[in-house]
Amino acid sequence: MFDLQGYGPSLLAGASMTIAVGLSAMVMACILGLVGAWAKLSASYTARATAAVYTTVIRGTPELILLLLLYYGVPTLVQDLASLAGYEIILNFNPFLAGAVTLGLIYGAFATEVFRGAFEAIPRGQTEAAQALGMSRFRVAVHITLPQAMRIALPGLGNVWMILIKATALVSIIQLDEVMRKAKIAAGATHQPFTFYLLASFIFLGITLISSLVQRQLEKKAHRGVGQA
Amino acid sequence: MTAALALHNVRKHFDDVEVLKGISLTAHRGDVISLIGSSGSGKSTLLRCMNLLEIPDAGDIDLSGERINLRQSRGGKRVPANQKQIDRARARIGMVFQSFNLWDHMTLLENVMEAPVHVLKQTKRDAREKAQALLAKVGLPDAAHRYPAQLSGGQQQRVAIARALAIEPEILLFDEPTSALDPELASSVLLVIQELAEEGRTMLLATHEMGFAKEVSSEVVFLHQGKIEEQGAPEQVFDNPVSKRCHAFLQASR
Repeated sequence: MFDLQGYGPSLLAGASMTIAVGLSAMVMACILGLVGAWAKLSASYTARATAAVYTTVIRGTPELILLLLLYYGVPTLVQDLASLAGYEIILNFNPFLAGAVTLGLIYGAFATEVFRGAFEAIPRGQTEAAQALGMSRFRVAVHITLPQAMRIALPGLGNVWMILIKATALVSIIQLDEVMRKAKIAAGATHQPFTFYLLASFIFLGITLISSLVQRQLEKKAHRGVGQA
Repeated sequence: MTAALALHNVRKHFDDVEVLKGISLTAHRGDVISLIGSSGSGKSTLLRCMNLLEIPDAGDIDLSGERINLRQSRGGKRVPANQKQIDRARARIGMVFQSFNLWDHMTLLENVMEAPVHVLKQTKRDAREKAQALLAKVGLPDAAHRYPAQLSGGQQQRVAIARALAIEPEILLFDEPTSALDPELASSVLLVIQELAEEGRTMLLATHEMGFAKEVSSEVVFLHQGKIEEQGAPEQVFDNPVSKRCHAFLQASR
């Protein structure tokens, strides 16, 4: 029943693809999250409005639809527009890129809220003390606000990461060779869906377990001197 | 002689409340000026205007004869004309807060070294040596690698004073430095402040410690509802106040 019939290495290769697309998306989500949080807390109305539209639309739409929209929808839209303008082009997205960008975009919206909460949780006195010593705004942001926000944001970001890594399974639908797609192929070829889907779920469980261990270490490190965690 | 700090007719309001109603005040080098008055009289706001944590709605501030440039924004609010000038001015004024405000993600040494390294551009080695000396000066010679949360409030406030001293400020501002401390811890902080006063530093101090204010000040200013109600030498203000309100306030805070 648990004979992998030579598909073991294939699933492991899928696992590394899952991690690669997940990490790329997470990096993008963190960058978008910082920019989004900055915009949400900005004095500029335009920045706040843009960020509000971004988080509202993205958080309110299913991941699967956004993924299909970006991977299949956008290229055909561009091709149609180009042919209207008299050009014939063929546009295809790389599944890895499309997957990482879509997930990054989606979880960037969640990270935006995590970072916004973190920035708002920093006591006013922390930045005032820095300003009062003549530190420039940039210096205050990099040396005082950001490190403290990161500490507060870590549990929330860990949560975003867990949901994100599981959502990578959706990317199988656009033919990216990650764990889910490899498991599906193996299950189909061997007629052993239970074996291979179980194995795939264990691989995800392994990734998330290791992630929580890493997160615990990071939180410990971030809480040096603060006396919690 | 140019005043170390001069305020001319400074006004500040928050929403509908006018907190400062035209304050003029001059601090010369070596002055120790205590600001007294009940809560809400504007002491803290006045101190915060001095290093521009609050921007006055009207009035001017001169730091060693240099006018701080403020301009009217499009929305009608007063804003710094030149943020660089504000940052430079702030680097010449040390501020100690009621709630200490040490950066809790940094060790005490890092707290004290931060501004000298990144604002004054001292080398890390110089800054570290000076920071060690300052920590020793405030009575915490062995605490360099501890974190703020590991200290008592009084110890944290002494480190905050060391942090303010590290930028070698021309003026020191103390915003109710002992109000968050119990009397025992407060006395260790007052001791440090007294020592600084005896060194001839220019200081302005918002405080509820009347005995202390009388002892260390060269001048005492009593604020009432955003105005200077009484001002003079400590003996005069404490023992012979002209203003009835000042008299009543001192009676009540005995």
